[in-house]
Amino acid sequence: MTLLFDTGYLFKRSLKKLVRNPILLFFSLLQPVIFLLLFTQLFNRFSSIKGFESTGTTSYVTFAIAGIVLQNAFSSAFQSGTAVVDDVKSGYLEKMLATPVSRPAILLGRLLTDAFRVVVQSSIILGLGALVFGVFPATGPLGLLLILVTIAFFGLAWAGISLALGLKTKSAESVFGIAGFLTFPLLFMSTALSPQFFLPEWMKSVSAYNPVSITVDAIRALVIGPDWTNVWNPLITAYAVIAIIAIVTLGATMYLFRKVIG
Amino acid sequence: MTEVISVKDLVMIYPDGTKAVDGVSFHVDDGEFFGFLGPNGAGKSTTIKILTTLLHKTSGEAKVAGYDVEKGAREIRKIVGLQAQETVIDWDLTGKENLILEGNLHQMRGKGLEERVKELLKIVGLEEVADKRAAFYSGGMKKRLDLASVLVHRPKILFLDEPTTGLDPQSRAGMWDYLRQLNRDEKITIFLTTQYMEEADRLCSRLSIVDLGKIVAQGTPSDLKGEIGADAINLTFENMNGKDSNGLKEEGKKILGGLRGVTDIVNSDMGLTVYAKNGAYLIPDIVRAFDEAQIRVASLNLSTPTLDDVFLKHTGKRIRVEELSKQYGGGMFGRRRR
Repeated sequence: MTLLFDTGYLFKRSLKKLVRNPILLFFSLLQPVIFLLLFTQLFNRFSSIKGFESTGTTSYVTFAIAGIVLQNAFSSAFQSGTAVVDDVKSGYLEKMLATPVSRPAILLGRLLTDAFRVVVQSSIILGLGALVFGVFPATGPLGLLLILVTIAFFGLAWAGISLALGLKTKSAESVFGIAGFLTFPLLFMSTALSPQFFLPEWMKSVSAYNPVSITVDAIRALVIGPDWTNVWNPLITAYAVIAIIAIVTLGATMYLFRKVIG
Repeated sequence: MTEVISVKDLVMIYPDGTKAVDGVSFHVDDGEFFGFLGPNGAGKSTTIKILTTLLHKTSGEAKVAGYDVEKGAREIRKIVGLQAQETVIDWDLTGKENLILEGNLHQMRGKGLEERVKELLKIVGLEEVADKRAAFYSGGMKKRLDLASVLVHRPKILFLDEPTTGLDPQSRAGMWDYLRQLNRDEKITIFLTTQYMEEADRLCSRLSIVDLGKIVAQGTPSDLKGEIGADAINLTFENMNGKDSNGLKEEGKKILGGLRGVTDIVNSDMGLTVYAKNGAYLIPDIVRAFDEAQIRVASLNLSTPTLDDVFLKHTGKRIRVEELSKQYGGGMFGRRRR
């Protein structure tokens, strides 16, 4: 019970911090818009390449929106660790630890904020996709809901890496450095923004094991639909992969957190 | 009197081998205003962190309110308040929100909490800025908010780690008033660490003087000063050709040792400190004796004994106060110290 209440209090705290930090808020909300407009403009011609229809759609926006949602979740999740670094450095973590606050709630409150942010950002992308480009998940409202749940789950798993890095290095610079180093290869060696047949051979095999591709394929199946039979397989695979990542990254986070709090 | 803090043979060795606390024993009674006076590196913060369950001791015994610091950590956290050395508040939250959150983390909520927060804001004089973000507060206001935040849950024991370091004299005097009030009116037991002998002297009913992880003297301020039992005369010498300062000190000691009324002579950083009953009468003799020996005295002053003299007597050093720069740097550049 205390765990629930405390998680709620700390969720509220980091949400307030996010909303009151103009730069953070601005980028949190603008980043998805920029990603959507930039990438769909940049790679729009993909759709005129022969064989594009093998992706299940003839519109690049329909194809890419899953990738953009994921790309955004990816870079958003990496900010999680910097907030923890801030609390360690400012002494606020210690101040919390001097109270009887439930220890796991400190992590849970943080993760809940990250999941919430990613859901809001993804909603902006999907909303703009619908309003500006007329793209709506063909699997309907249930499909939309599943997209948001999947992306939140994915965001949590990746936030774990950022949190673990933050707790280990206690340096925001390191978190951003390593995150940036990981983001681009994983993103571009995936089917997030370009169709699979368009990738060079060696990259195809990398992409097949790339968790970004696997998750994108599931979300894309939900967007393109319309038949649910095409959805279940990629979706189940994606959840299995995300679960493995989550166990590893959040496990590492919990281990490191226990070390930090003594 | 019941003991609310009892510490026996406490030792803390950090993983890097630093022995921060080296066999410390003391006790604090219910309602006392107890102090740890000493320079940086004396082990003050480390002791506080062990007593507030933030650090695991290496060995020894430590009990707070009857609970063992390891086994009873959860219980201890409910009834103590800790104000860390650096001002720690959430800059993005308003003063009021900071206090509400702190209460929440102590499982307080609803009307009772609202009223407690209102009352505290009034006590520390932050009512008018309660709904402004803490980032816009002045240094003194932040410190007061920090103090208020550790009082929300009505702690029985308050741990204050150098609560006035970095404050201007006016804010410091204000802080002293709050602390006295808390101890006297609210009957809160206070454990305070400080580098300022004046602060320890004025506030503490009893104190330990600490250096390099050890307690060098313990007692009430007046007992400790009484132990010196004499006035202090501080002397420094002019450096003369052919004689280094150590040589001058040795020579000075011989000369002073021959004077009547001198009870003790101690090396200080700059020269010598002589203790004597009725020190004022001795000054002409001292001047004359050094004149005859052709040693030039650069400065000479007389003081009634201070806690610094007690520290000097036991350690051969004076307490050097080191202020933390960037005290209010917002955390980004805040140096973490033990």
